[in-house]
Amino acid sequence: MFKLAWRNIWRNKGRSIITIAAVMFCVIFAVVLRSFQVGVWEHMVGDIVANNFGYLQVHQKGFWGDQSLDLSMDEATLDWDAMENVPGVRSLVPRLESFSLVSTGDNNRGSLVLGIRPEGELSGLRLTDQLIDGRLFAPASNEVVVSEGLAEYLHVEVGDSLMFLGQGYRGASAYGQFMVAGIAKISNPELNKQLVVMPIETAQWMYNATGLLTTVVVDLEPNADFAEVKAALEPLLGSDFELLDWEQLFPELVQTIEADMAGGQIFVTILYFIISFVLLGTVIMMVSEREREFGILVSIGMRKTTLAAVTVLENLMLLVGGAVVGMAAVKPVQFYFKYNPIDLSGQMKEAIEQFDFEPKLYTTTSFLINLNHGAIVFVIGVLVSSYAVWKIMKLNPVKSMRA
Amino acid sequence: MSKPVIEVKNLEKVYEGAVPVHAVNGISLTITQGEFTALKGPSGCGKTTLLNMLGGLDQPTAGSIAIGGVDITTLSENALIDFRLRNIGFVFQAYNLIPVLSAQENVSFIMLLQNRPKEEREARAQQLLEAVGLKGKEDKRPGQLSGGQQQRVAVARALASKPQFVLADEPTANLDSQSTANLLDIMERLNKEEGMTFVFATHDDRVIKKARRIISIEDGKVLSDD
Repeated sequence: MFKLAWRNIWRNKGRSIITIAAVMFCVIFAVVLRSFQVGVWEHMVGDIVANNFGYLQVHQKGFWGDQSLDLSMDEATLDWDAMENVPGVRSLVPRLESFSLVSTGDNNRGSLVLGIRPEGELSGLRLTDQLIDGRLFAPASNEVVVSEGLAEYLHVEVGDSLMFLGQGYRGASAYGQFMVAGIAKISNPELNKQLVVMPIETAQWMYNATGLLTTVVVDLEPNADFAEVKAALEPLLGSDFELLDWEQLFPELVQTIEADMAGGQIFVTILYFIISFVLLGTVIMMVSEREREFGILVSIGMRKTTLAAVTVLENLMLLVGGAVVGMAAVKPVQFYFKYNPIDLSGQMKEAIEQFDFEPKLYTTTSFLINLNHGAIVFVIGVLVSSYAVWKIMKLNPVKSMRA
Repeated sequence: MSKPVIEVKNLEKVYEGAVPVHAVNGISLTITQGEFTALKGPSGCGKTTLLNMLGGLDQPTAGSIAIGGVDITTLSENALIDFRLRNIGFVFQAYNLIPVLSAQENVSFIMLLQNRPKEEREARAQQLLEAVGLKGKEDKRPGQLSGGQQQRVAVARALASKPQFVLADEPTANLDSQSTANLLDIMERLNKEEGMTFVFATHDDRVIKKARRIISIEDGKVLSDD
């Protein structure tokens, strides 16, 4: 039966090649489209979440909603050892974050102040790779690292002083004068415009919050499932704390991703509708051309179910052939643009930057996308083949042989 | 006395329409083992319709057809297809070979559907192609063979399943004189030497002359049976 199906495919080479090519280009186009879409978000989530904010954060209950220093937590109340021993946890990263008016000369801007220990930080805030000028601040010093965008806005350079004025813990005044030790380019555009990083001890001193933290970021092992780690950590935290995952931390980001994905899905669905009709046309032509032959085969003793199976096999060989070639052919494209993202320019760049997204188009190399689209084509093949099956099952051999 | 292979009783086929057409109108006949019978008559007399019903390709409006004692009008669709596969050989006017298969594969195909072992299929296909004078043409596809050669492959295919009888519908209509003579010689030899029963629907005098029994049909009825 396989031999019969295989030879039937090549009895009309032109049509078979056109069908295979149509499926191949459909898969390539759909996979490229989805790869860029998923890749951009993957990169963005990786940048925002994995490199800067972490997949899980521990706060005093209510902090994330109010963002108030008054909802800080005492370092000593956390069971650090037990939390660090949870499988999947690589390290715990303490932070104190608040806001302050930062000024120099006539320039000032409301900024995000982050007190950290750089050596234990997530890769996006370790600062050594991000520094574009100067050096990292010394531990517990009166030095800060300013983000590139903020430095440009304030017209400050390494060695300049910055004045800070804000509100500290429980209404205390928070002020200080610090020297710019370095300027760092933060990959997240939003942070790059407003971030000042200083030693955590310095931030605790300025905000009158000695021994207090606003956030403990849970840094995960590679491939650890954040939901599993979260479930294991929750019992270790009392009811005074909140443990939020990245989807709870950034619900707008999740919604934006879902909306964008849905838009892409509509486009891909339209594409598949078109290809479905192309394939249906092929099947209708094939059935019409071979109606007489189908009649002969049933006449001489071939069961209709067997004949239908051969016909479905033919269609699936064409479709799977096209899909596999498409899935393989698109792989180098996925790899190339993952490591060589497209730099957007002009209005497109400005529009994307307005949303604080990096204006670069990355692809994902996840083979799952290729497999998904291969599977969709397979399902389309089965559905389209059902026309041939229907025609065969209601075939009258005498009438068919007269066709 | 030879045993009956086909027993037809009061067979009728009516095509419904604005004016119903009685294509077969109350035919009863018996074909016995080893016959070489021609159903003759003008175009539209009902001989092809009768042949199609004898082969289980078309359902009668009334009457019964017993083949080897089995009333095929009562069989389900799949049972009828299986019955055809094991008991009836067909030779069609337009050869009706499978274009993507070679001569040998066309002959073997029926045996493949019967789930016969590969060695048996190949040996019998070789033997049958040799019997119809096509030794050396086993690997040719239908498009590479002449009309006469294709029809000989069709005869070999019809015999491959070791049927009880072969039904041939205008088997010589598309053949030249020489090919017709060759084909009839082959079928006559298979009839005489192997006792294969042949029933032809034809209006070709060359076939009718070879037949040992001639059933004349007109307006769906048996006019004469000699």
